[in-house]
Amino acid sequence: LNAAPGPAPRQHVRFLPVPAEDGSGVTGLVATRVPMLADHRLVRGPRFRRLKIGAGHRLDTKASGVFVLGIGHGNKLLTDLYNCHLTKVYTVGGLFGKATDDFSDTGKLVEKTTFDHITREKLERILAVIQGTNHKALLMHSNIDMKTQEAYELAVKGLIRPMGKSPPIITAIRCLQFTLPEFQLEIHCLHETQQYLRKIVHEIGLELKSSAVCTQVRRIRDGVFTLNDALLRTQWNLQSIQKAIWDCQLKVKTELEKTLG
Amino acid sequence: ARPPLLLGRGLAKAAGPRSVRQLKEAEEAAPVFQYAGKAAKRKDRVFVWGFSYSGALGVPSFVKPDAGWKKPRRIQATPYRLETEEKISSAACGYGFTLLSSNTTDITKVWGMGLNKDSQLGFQRSRRDRAKGYEYVLEPSPIPLPLEKPQQTRVLQVSCGRAHSLILTDSEGVFTMGNNSYGQCGRKVVEDESYSESHLIHQLKDFDSRVVQVVCGQDHSLFRTKKGAVYACGWGADGQTGLGHYNITSVPTKLRGDIAGVNIIQVSSYGDCCLAVSDEGDVFGWGNSEYLQLASVTETTQVNVPRHLPFKIGKIKEAACGGTGNIVLTEEGNVFVWGYGILGKGPNLTETAVPEMIPPSLFGWSDFNPDICVAHVCCGLSHFAALTNRGELFVWGKNLRGCLGTGRMEDHYFPWRVTVPGEVVDVACGVDHMVSMVKSFT
Repeated sequence: LNAAPGPAPRQHVRFLPVPAEDGSGVTGLVATRVPMLADHRLVRGPRFRRLKIGAGHRLDTKASGVFVLGIGHGNKLLTDLYNCHLTKVYTVGGLFGKATDDFSDTGKLVEKTTFDHITREKLERILAVIQGTNHKALLMHSNIDMKTQEAYELAVKGLIRPMGKSPPIITAIRCLQFTLPEFQLEIHCLHETQQYLRKIVHEIGLELKSSAVCTQVRRIRDGVFTLNDALLRTQWNLQSIQKAIWDCQLKVKTELEKTLG
Repeated sequence: ARPPLLLGRGLAKAAGPRSVRQLKEAEEAAPVFQYAGKAAKRKDRVFVWGFSYSGALGVPSFVKPDAGWKKPRRIQATPYRLETEEKISSAACGYGFTLLSSNTTDITKVWGMGLNKDSQLGFQRSRRDRAKGYEYVLEPSPIPLPLEKPQQTRVLQVSCGRAHSLILTDSEGVFTMGNNSYGQCGRKVVEDESYSESHLIHQLKDFDSRVVQVVCGQDHSLFRTKKGAVYACGWGADGQTGLGHYNITSVPTKLRGDIAGVNIIQVSSYGDCCLAVSDEGDVFGWGNSEYLQLASVTETTQVNVPRHLPFKIGKIKEAACGGTGNIVLTEEGNVFVWGYGILGKGPNLTETAVPEMIPPSLFGWSDFNPDICVAHVCCGLSHFAALTNRGELFVWGKNLRGCLGTGRMEDHYFPWRVTVPGEVVDVACGVDHMVSMVKSFT
């Protein structure tokens, strides 16, 4: 970063003595723009000595996916994005037949059950109910008085969302793949933790009169940032990072203006 | 390394942390539990909620608690499971009482609970005094019907009004019980008849064809036959019998007017207004119009002849009437409301004569779930209920004594989900309580 050419040094006007043309010894003053010495690299030192990096929404060690970071002045945008309360989308993989103590497949086994009675239809029914109860929780935690006309209009448009602290809420959930004993769900949620999603998988297993563990949690979208914007491990170099920041600046600005006004 | 002296003879070994292979072997050797077999059937359940002091919920411990320290529960605000011996196929809520029926061929086909001051639940013999009957029935009690072939006839449907009830059977016509001061039971009005503790159950058989649906209004009865005709009897001061006059009728008489010759596929009524849907998707109305229910065709407040309501909202599949508001469901799955009261479009819409659509996004429709639509609608006296095709129940309207079942005591101005642990198949709405038939998830 320090090797890259920095911004041009500031210029100021100085009156410099200039020897007269005919060598008579009389020096005139000419106003010229010269760069300030205080901005010179040898005077100031390297431009960047430390970088402030902040993290967006947490992602624990067993999960993977989009993880948003803010650099320098971008940390202020991070707090604004947090206050927007946008939904995150996860792909959660599950496995029927086992129940463990930490709800993932690397934990200590608690129970094994049969699962051949489970069909995609039953799973979709449970998911519809989860969505329904969470939708109700969404309306209740949004702290809007349900008796007003504005509440009705927002509910029609689907814009009611809790804009403060709330327990984890799932706004949408659906089944992407179902091949016994494995299944994959796509979950859109707010204010959640990955362990909560694993607990949901466990509870789906219990509701279907069997048991389930979570094999994979992958965040595919965090507010405005999707998998396409994310940088792979091989792309963690200066040029890609700078390009990524440049590409998403406009998106973040429009989203913040839309939500926070 | 562990000194062998510590373990004495060296026969026992300490357990130590298990290796990955040992863990895998332990996992494979663990027993497998089976909670549900492959052919596990979904169970049918009945859930009730609302005002319980009339006994209409069928749970005696709400009214008379079984332990001294427990307090009686006046309002059951969330759905409560009602244990029944048989599978209930049809339920109806009246004004403070409930009827449950099963289409079994056993001797007991209908159970009733709640108010019985006009014998709307038949004669419930009191256990203390064999000559007297109960005025309040707190538990689902069997109603003995005078059937000719009790082990062959099946009860198809039940319906309850303010103080009378109708039971529809498949081969023995319609049985009516309860108050008959306006002829709503289909028999001649007897002056100064005492309706409480009455053993009389009247049977109605002569219609033009088999009766396929019975509906009770507040003090009148409607019968729909297989041929598509509608018969009515009972109180007619608001024109709700639709027979062209405002007097009472004590014998079921066929309706004329705009529905003469039309094949009616559904009739509905709960207060003093009635709606009928034809097989072509048209809706006809008659009865009370004080709350703009029929204001689209007439300015008068009582209509005593069925009139066609020319709404351009699409082909109508189902209609339901409440006390002051009406609701219809179209073939596309859209819900339209009109009338007076809390109609479901926010606090600003209190009355309209023209049907207004409730946006499907309030029933869970979104880009994520585009195939959710409403499958069934039902009306109580001042509230509405809608069932989606996913089995979710939405209610809105005045929350009279907790009848909405949402857990909160306030009125809801737009559709609100009721959390029921199962897929709701059918719902019956009363004045201050509701009954729903639910299938469990797995």
